[in-house]
Amino acid sequence: MRILSVLVKRNVKLFFKDKGMFFTSLITPAILLVLYTTFLSNIYRDSFTAGLPEGLKLPESIADGLVGSQLISSLLAVSCITVAFCSNFLMVQDKANGTIKDLEVSPIKPAVLSISYYAATFISTLVICFTAAGLCLIYVAFTGWYMSFTDVILLFLDILLLVLFGTALSSIINFFLSTQGQISAVGTIISAGYGFICGAYMPISSFSEGLQKAVAFLPGTYGTSLVRNHAMRGVFAEMNTQNIPSEITDKIKDSLDCNLYFFENHVGIPVMYLVLGITTAVLILFYVLLNAVKKRKH
Amino acid sequence: MRNIIQIKNLNKNFGDIKAVQDLSFCVKEGELFAFLGVNGAGKSTTINIMCGQLSKDSGNIIINGHDLNKTADPIKRELGIVFQSSVLDPALSVYDNLESRAALYGIIGTEFRERLKYLSELFGFAHLSKRAVGKLSGGQRRRIDIARALFHKPKILILDEPTTGLDPQTRKTIWNVIEDLRKNENMTVFLTTHYMEEAAEADYVIIIDNGKISAEGTPLELKNAYTGDYITIYGISEDAIKTLGMDYGKIRDAYRLSVPDTKTATELIIKYPDIFNDYEITKGKMDDVFLAVTGKTLTGGLEK
Repeated sequence: MRILSVLVKRNVKLFFKDKGMFFTSLITPAILLVLYTTFLSNIYRDSFTAGLPEGLKLPESIADGLVGSQLISSLLAVSCITVAFCSNFLMVQDKANGTIKDLEVSPIKPAVLSISYYAATFISTLVICFTAAGLCLIYVAFTGWYMSFTDVILLFLDILLLVLFGTALSSIINFFLSTQGQISAVGTIISAGYGFICGAYMPISSFSEGLQKAVAFLPGTYGTSLVRNHAMRGVFAEMNTQNIPSEITDKIKDSLDCNLYFFENHVGIPVMYLVLGITTAVLILFYVLLNAVKKRKH
Repeated sequence: MRNIIQIKNLNKNFGDIKAVQDLSFCVKEGELFAFLGVNGAGKSTTINIMCGQLSKDSGNIIINGHDLNKTADPIKRELGIVFQSSVLDPALSVYDNLESRAALYGIIGTEFRERLKYLSELFGFAHLSKRAVGKLSGGQRRRIDIARALFHKPKILILDEPTTGLDPQTRKTIWNVIEDLRKNENMTVFLTTHYMEEAAEADYVIIIDNGKISAEGTPLELKNAYTGDYITIYGISEDAIKTLGMDYGKIRDAYRLSVPDTKTATELIIKYPDIFNDYEITKGKMDDVFLAVTGKTLTGGLEK
């Protein structure tokens, strides 16, 4: 166990010392921040108020709360995956620069090495995402705080689950990579693409019907929705308190992917947890199998 | 001396390329063994197979009594490897690098700190332990590489071109430490190098070409078999050297003759005692051996 902890420490230190890798992992959240500060927040604010019946006005603080919590949920959902990928690139870098030879000439079991990469990625990503979550909560406190203690706990649980999912997914994809060029290619695809397919840049509800159905098969979608549900639940509760019709609230929930549908069937929060949990378990199992097959081939 | 490495009929192909062909040799415990060949001759392939990094197509490898076909882990504990280029983490400090590598062998806590203290004093890098490896000079980094390879007290140290690109002073320091360890701890050193003066110090030399052994023996045996002797004669005139009736070369303050062997040199000296007042006989160099065996020369990593 102590041997594993030394290796995990090495991997975590390397990630935080490699500024290139660290900042690459923050590209997608940075893009999101730019999008929101330049125009997205205004577009969403207008869309929230545009659907209201005549004579009904959405209080400014609730509109701020909606926009703020949507921003932080998108940021956090995306970060959990992109940071995990970039952190786990260490596994590929070790292959690309030959360091893996130095590790593999020792009598250490390959499984310990694989676990060390997984654990280090999980820890690095969790530290960054929990820190980001803390900063996001401070931001929400200024723009409009409606979250309960339970919401905050569940938000952190969602992040934990998404980080586990992101780590498992990145472990499998990175397992097949071995060069710096592949790192750049996959890094770019993940940084640019994941924000779209998980509904962070634009809600999935705004996609075409076919694309919505396709995205419904991706487990990450449910992770984003979980984060969004727990970040925004308080605002919706406040809207109810302020006697805003539930049809309006539901419409906003649909438009922001708080309500997700799998071929017209509403997917509840427990099912979202189940999908994410089972997928993560399957991915971890697959990663273990990949390593076992590699060992046998060797 | 017992054989600590035994390789029998080793074969390895990469597609149509026969990287190693029916290679068989032994290395005796405690000796400095030089494994020579141009780039692509099969040296690294052989080393990678020995280390368990690469699978072999056929053949047997026994290292310190452990059969590689049966188990690789005990063999990995017996080997310390210094790779051609440093594979330590440049972003991490010397301490962090050595801590993570020592952990691979289960060396942690007090045991790690004690071994670190010993090696840092031996190689003189105690003052560098907090510096990032990437910020060290080539010579400093090489000392850390070798310390890393020695951390778990291996019985065999594999040095894959360890001194390429280093200044003479650093090379001397590194070799002094390795020689001390070899003598005091009976450590076997398995060396590949492009510096023939390093190979000349070896106890036994194997030259491989195209995956096969082209020549083997002690440096003396190889020199005797593949090169002649040189006689350098000082303090005589060119007319005098001409009386020998042999080809000669003029150097700054002397003349140099090439003879097939020492016996011929002796006969020549006895026959012309007046000419041989101030002279020296030198054996051919390992460069000459290498050239004679492979038809190629080795110059610091470049094949000619």
